[in-house]
Amino acid sequence: MDAEILGLIAGSLVSLGAYSVLIGDNPISRITENIYMGILGGYIFAVNWDFIRKNALSKVAEGEFVYIIAILLSLMLLGRLKAKYMWISRYPVVLTVGVGLGLAMRTTVMADFLGQIQATVLPLNSFNNIVMVIGTCLTAAYFIFTTQESGVYKYIHTGGRVFLLCAFGVTYGQTVSFRMELVIGRLVAMLDPRVSMITYAFLVIIVVILIYGYKTNKIEWYTGR
Amino acid sequence: MSIMDRLLNLDPRIIFVLMFIALAFPILNPVILPMAIQDYSQKAFDFSDSIPEGSIVLFEGGLNAATYPQGGPGMVVQIYHMLTKGVKIVLFSIGTEQNVWTMTAIETALDKLPAGTPAENGVNWVHLGYIAGGEAGVGSLVNDIRATVSADYFGTPIDDIPLLEGINDATAFSAVLWWGGSEASIGYGVRQVSVPFDIPMTGMCTTNEVPNFSPYISAGQLQGLFGGVRGSAEYEFLLSLPGPALGQAMATNFGGLLWMLLVILGNVLYFIQRMRGEA
Repeated sequence: MDAEILGLIAGSLVSLGAYSVLIGDNPISRITENIYMGILGGYIFAVNWDFIRKNALSKVAEGEFVYIIAILLSLMLLGRLKAKYMWISRYPVVLTVGVGLGLAMRTTVMADFLGQIQATVLPLNSFNNIVMVIGTCLTAAYFIFTTQESGVYKYIHTGGRVFLLCAFGVTYGQTVSFRMELVIGRLVAMLDPRVSMITYAFLVIIVVILIYGYKTNKIEWYTGR
Repeated sequence: MSIMDRLLNLDPRIIFVLMFIALAFPILNPVILPMAIQDYSQKAFDFSDSIPEGSIVLFEGGLNAATYPQGGPGMVVQIYHMLTKGVKIVLFSIGTEQNVWTMTAIETALDKLPAGTPAENGVNWVHLGYIAGGEAGVGSLVNDIRATVSADYFGTPIDDIPLLEGINDATAFSAVLWWGGSEASIGYGVRQVSVPFDIPMTGMCTTNEVPNFSPYISAGQLQGLFGGVRGSAEYEFLLSLPGPALGQAMATNFGGLLWMLLVILGNVLYFIQRMRGEA
C-alpha cells in the first residue's frame, strides 16, 4: 500500500479517536493520547540525538574539543532525574537562560520597544492614524492605577477599556478561526476520497464501542459542563 | 424547562456536531464565496515579488502536523514563487517536527514547478534541517552557519554545498521569509536577523497569532504577513496557482457564520431573559 494512503488511514483513526474526547473522557481518546505522546516523545528524542551526533559528537571526533563543554552541559541536565543531583542540572539551565536572555535583549529594545513607539507617533492625517494614536494613548492610560477613576480620567479609563475589549474581541475571533482551521485541516485529510470510506468505517466502529461501553456501564458517561 | 432555557443550556456536544457539519459540508461540496485580499497579504506578496533574481533568501519553515494544512499550501506557493523567479533559498526549521514538514513543502513545490525551472538541491535551494536552541539557535545560525550546522537535512557536509560557498552569516541574504506557523517565533527572526542585519522580512503565522505580530508591520519591521489558511489562499490567488487552501478558506467561512449565529442567538436570548427579570 502507498505510504501516503497508509498515513492518511492512520491519521484518520487517530484523529477520530482524539475527537471522541468531545463526547466525554473515554478509553479510546486516552489510548489515542498516549500513542500520540509516545510517538512524539520518541521522535523528538531521535531528531535531537541526530542533531547532537552531527553537530557535537562528530566535531569532537574531528578534533574540535571545545564541543566537549556543550556535551558535558547537556549531560549535566540529566541530573534532574534524581532529586539528590538536581543541583547539577541548574548550571546548564542558568547558562541557557542567561544566553537566551542576552541574545534576546541585544535587539529587543530596538525591535519590540523603540520600533513600536516610533510606529505609534504618526501624523494625524487619516482616520486610521487617529484611531491608532488615540487607542494607544487611552489603552496605556487604562493601566495607570494610581489615579482615582473620577472626572476626566473616568472617560479616559472607559475609552481605554473599550479599545481593550475591541482588541480582546479580535483575538477571540482569530482564536476561534484558528481552532476551526485545525479541524478543517484534519477533515480535509480524513474526507480525502481515497480514504473517506475507511474514515466512515472507523467512525461507526468507535460509535459502536462507545455505545456498548456506556450501555453496559463499562465507560462512565460524561455529565459535567 | 422552557425552549429558551434549553437553548441557553445547550449541551456543548450538540454545538460540536453542528460545527462538524458546517465545516465538513463545504469540503464535501466545494463552494466558492467572494474573497477580498487583506492588506497584510498583499504587502507580503508584493515584497516577495520584488525580490530580485539571483538573490539568496533565508527561509524558516515552522509548520507542524497541526498547522501544515493551513500554512502548508502557502509555503508551497512561496517556495514555488521564489524558485520560478530565480531566487535561491536557504531553509531551516527550529522545530523537530517542523523539519520534516518543511521538506514536504519543498517536495510539493518541486513537483509543481514548470519543466525546466532550475531547482537543484544544493544549488538553487538547501534545507539545513533542524536547528536546536530556539531563539539562541537562530542567533547562532545567522552569525556563524558552519559553527551551528555541519551538514544539511540529507547529511551533505555544509562545505560540499555549492549554494553556501562563501556564505557563513546572514549578510549574504537579501530577505528573510519566516513561515512560523504557531511557533510564535516571528519575533526571533525580527530580533536576531531582520533588525541586527537590516534585512527585510515577511512572515506567516496562524490566524490566532496575527494580532500579536501585526504591530511589526506597522513598525516596518515586517514587510507583510500571511495569516492562517486565508493567507495561504490569498497567496494562491495572487500567484494564480490554485491549491487546497482556497477550499479550506471557504470551510472556515461556513464555520465562522455558524459561530456568529450562535453568539448572536446566545446574546439575544440572554437579554430577553434579563428583560423578563429571569436572569
